[in-house]
Amino acid sequence: MTEPEQSYEIATGRLEEIIRRLDSGEAGLRETLDLVKEGRTLVEYCAGELEAVSAGLDEIKLDELIARLEDQTPESE
Amino acid sequence: MDESLQRPAGIEGSALKGPFPVGAYAEMLREELRGRARLQLFGEIWNLRKTTARVYFELRDARGAVPCAMWTNKFEALGEIASSLSDGAQIVVAGGPDYYPGSKTSSPSFSFDVTALRVAGEGDLLAQLAALRRQLQGEGLFEPQKLLARPQLPRTIGVVTSESGKARDDILAGLQRRGWAGTLVWGFAPVQDRKAAAAITEALTDLAGTQQVETIIVARGGGSLADLFAFCDETLCRTVALLRVPVIASVGHHTDQTLIDDVAAESCSTPTHAAEAAVPLDINAERDKLRFGVETLSRHAQRAVVGRARALAALARVPGTHITRQRRELHQDARELRAAGQRRLLLERERSATVAEVLRRKTLAGAGPDKLARMRTLEGLSIALAAHDPKGVLERGYTIVDDGEGNVITTAAQAREAENVRLQFADDAVAAKITGSDD
Repeated sequence: MTEPEQSYEIATGRLEEIIRRLDSGEAGLRETLDLVKEGRTLVEYCAGELEAVSAGLDEIKLDELIARLEDQTPESE
Repeated sequence: MDESLQRPAGIEGSALKGPFPVGAYAEMLREELRGRARLQLFGEIWNLRKTTARVYFELRDARGAVPCAMWTNKFEALGEIASSLSDGAQIVVAGGPDYYPGSKTSSPSFSFDVTALRVAGEGDLLAQLAALRRQLQGEGLFEPQKLLARPQLPRTIGVVTSESGKARDDILAGLQRRGWAGTLVWGFAPVQDRKAAAAITEALTDLAGTQQVETIIVARGGGSLADLFAFCDETLCRTVALLRVPVIASVGHHTDQTLIDDVAAESCSTPTHAAEAAVPLDINAERDKLRFGVETLSRHAQRAVVGRARALAALARVPGTHITRQRRELHQDARELRAAGQRRLLLERERSATVAEVLRRKTLAGAGPDKLARMRTLEGLSIALAAHDPKGVLERGYTIVDDGEGNVITTAAQAREAENVRLQFADDAVAAKITGSDD
């Protein structure tokens, strides 16, 4: 069984759920620590996603991309 | 050669001039036609055919027709309109009559030399467009793109636009406003001429085929409907509808509605908005939200651990407090017991004294013949009784050793164990410490 695909929107949705639960004050010590741990993992994932789309603009022409992909194809075979 | 020698004789009885050589007449005719007023005609186009140099068609209406010819390069310059022309379309042409005199080996021809052409009204184009729109919609081709999942943070975005157009700068500005700086793949293509639709279709297909491009923007600035007609191309629109990558269209101004706007995942009024639609999240705002998330998690973690640690510490103090209280109560009890013991000792002593006095009096009262012997016996008993009076024992120099709390120590082992003891003399008690062994 494979895990469902992670995405930024799923991760932030879960993070908001966690924060709502923690803010409710209803979570016990064990649950709080588990939620905080899960939340920190999600934050790390989201920060990585943001970093990936803001590290620096890379502009290439379609022809160049196609040529690059064609160069890679024989190596992968 | 003398032309007059070759000229045949005219038709006998004819009053008309000539005969003249036909070539000369053809040239004259051409010049005469070319000298006629140049004007515009309108009618329906029929029998369009193209050659490398010239495009031929007929312009017709109910009363008659004129053969027309146009230079191919001028016709191609009409762009997408040229492709859209089909039999029956209403057009307006500008030009004038012309005559090709032909030659010994080629046939002459008359034509209306067309120097400019336009579709007779956008109404016709719009009617064609409306028909195609109904057809595509009827086939359900407006929906597939809108059902595609849209990545909130695409790492790679493809763009189809003109290399020299302003749309290019607008897209960059829109992406910058979002804080986006990933990989941008430019699929440059003409966006107006006759080959535009095919080139745009190819660029879109190639971008979607790379597997890396997650969202595609198709953008072009404003223009007339005829200028934008490439984006109404049936093949292009069918291709877009079936792509697995979401396409965001921004073609013309917001008042224009091309077919690609209908089949695309989203239609935007400007290239800048298209860029923002391609990256729905503001990356700087998302960073702030994450920072807030981290702070919230830390606060809850600290509150959970430190707060509960304090509660545990308070609970841990409870047994100590309890023991202290119990000890205090035990000491109180011990003091009360000691006091009760001393009171009882006093009472016993008083009772012994009373019994001794009674005995003494009875002895005196009962003195008889054996008075002396009984008195002696009684005296002996009195002395024995007095000997049991602890005070008497103490007055004789004995000492009672206890542990300071009234527990009498009767053995050396108990004394060694107690260490701190109290020596009770007849007149008072003193504290003492067992400092060594009995050696």
